[in-house]
Amino acid sequence: MLFYFFEVLNDHPLMLLLLNVGLAGLGGALPPIIERARRRGLENSLPEVLEGLSDSIGAGQGLQQAIKKVSESRSDLFGKLLRETLDVSAVTSFDAALADFAMKTRSKQIQRVINLLSTAEENDAPIQEILFRSSLEYEKLNDLVNKRENDLLGQAILIIMFISVGLPALIAFIVGLFAPESSGYAVDEVNSAMVHFFGAASGVAVMVSGRMLGRARDYLWLVPLWMFASMAVYKFGYIMII
Amino acid sequence: MGSGIGLEGAITSISRGGYGCISSDFQKVMVNTRKGKGLVEELRRIQKKAKSDAYKRLLNTMIENIISNTDIVKTLKNQGGREEEKRTEKVEKYIEELSGLPETLLSIGMISPIILAILAITPQMMAGAGDIMPLPDADAVGSIVNGGLFVTVVMMAMIGMKAHTKDPGL
Repeated sequence: MLFYFFEVLNDHPLMLLLLNVGLAGLGGALPPIIERARRRGLENSLPEVLEGLSDSIGAGQGLQQAIKKVSESRSDLFGKLLRETLDVSAVTSFDAALADFAMKTRSKQIQRVINLLSTAEENDAPIQEILFRSSLEYEKLNDLVNKRENDLLGQAILIIMFISVGLPALIAFIVGLFAPESSGYAVDEVNSAMVHFFGAASGVAVMVSGRMLGRARDYLWLVPLWMFASMAVYKFGYIMII
Repeated sequence: MGSGIGLEGAITSISRGGYGCISSDFQKVMVNTRKGKGLVEELRRIQKKAKSDAYKRLLNTMIENIISNTDIVKTLKNQGGREEEKRTEKVEKYIEELSGLPETLLSIGMISPIILAILAITPQMMAGAGDIMPLPDADAVGSIVNGGLFVTVVMMAMIGMKAHTKDPGL
């Protein structure tokens, strides 16, 4: 079976090329997924952290003490990074430690807040109010980003599954059932055209899905693999039916 | 600015980065200001180039503050609130508009290959009917099928463009 699979692939250099490029592309596709999950985790925790800092400062503590209190109460990555920041601040200035923290989060949202905090602290501004207002604003922003993600993720997956898997399987079934080679139909050209069509349609579907979620660049890495999958589903689907 | 820093300080803070094209615009403003150009003049230069109405309004508020010393914090808070509402509406509209996209793509992606596959094998299926009716040439049919499949992919891409052109930019 496996040898037969390779035999068929051997007759289709484009599919072979897409498989190799696609497998290599996985190396580029996975890091952005992991990085995004990490960044979104930190960003979703931001409003809670800001509210905690605001409460502590409202209770009369300084910014550094407030950060210490919040870091001790959190066991997630945010808490860990805050604890590291306090350790760094022991050997350098607090501002430099905060800047280092902002860099480590690799999140623009958090970097903006830290920038705002540094500016507010430099100017003796009412930090409690700024933190509280920021927590509300970032909560709204995160809710909106999460809403887009949750509402569109299902549709994005549906598009990929429909176009890249469902459609080639269905057409392979129809063509294989009504025009089998065993009945004398010469369908090589039709099959070749269909294989290329499903490859292209799958590429379009993956890019549309990626764009819907605002992650077109990340999804670009997955295009060759999905193109191959779609072409293989048609090719092997047709072979199985006949 | 609410914490007491001036407009120029706020512009410098934003120009450090993290706010997309606004940061790069403000960076140019600060560079040119240090070279001796007027802040109002520089802000007007950016305003002329700006394409977004909201950005133009923001720059106008900043210019008015420098010229007439208006209450910029209050005005910017109002503007921010309005833009936030607009952004929420845009995202909800975007989600709503894309709700039928999978079905539309599937319909076009399914109907077209079925019709074209049938068309491609028609000369073979109808081979015996050549005596009673004229049959299209197999090569011509092949060209129509290939062209049709290409047009289908282009149509699918154009429908999918909606996801790009209407992106609210979150």
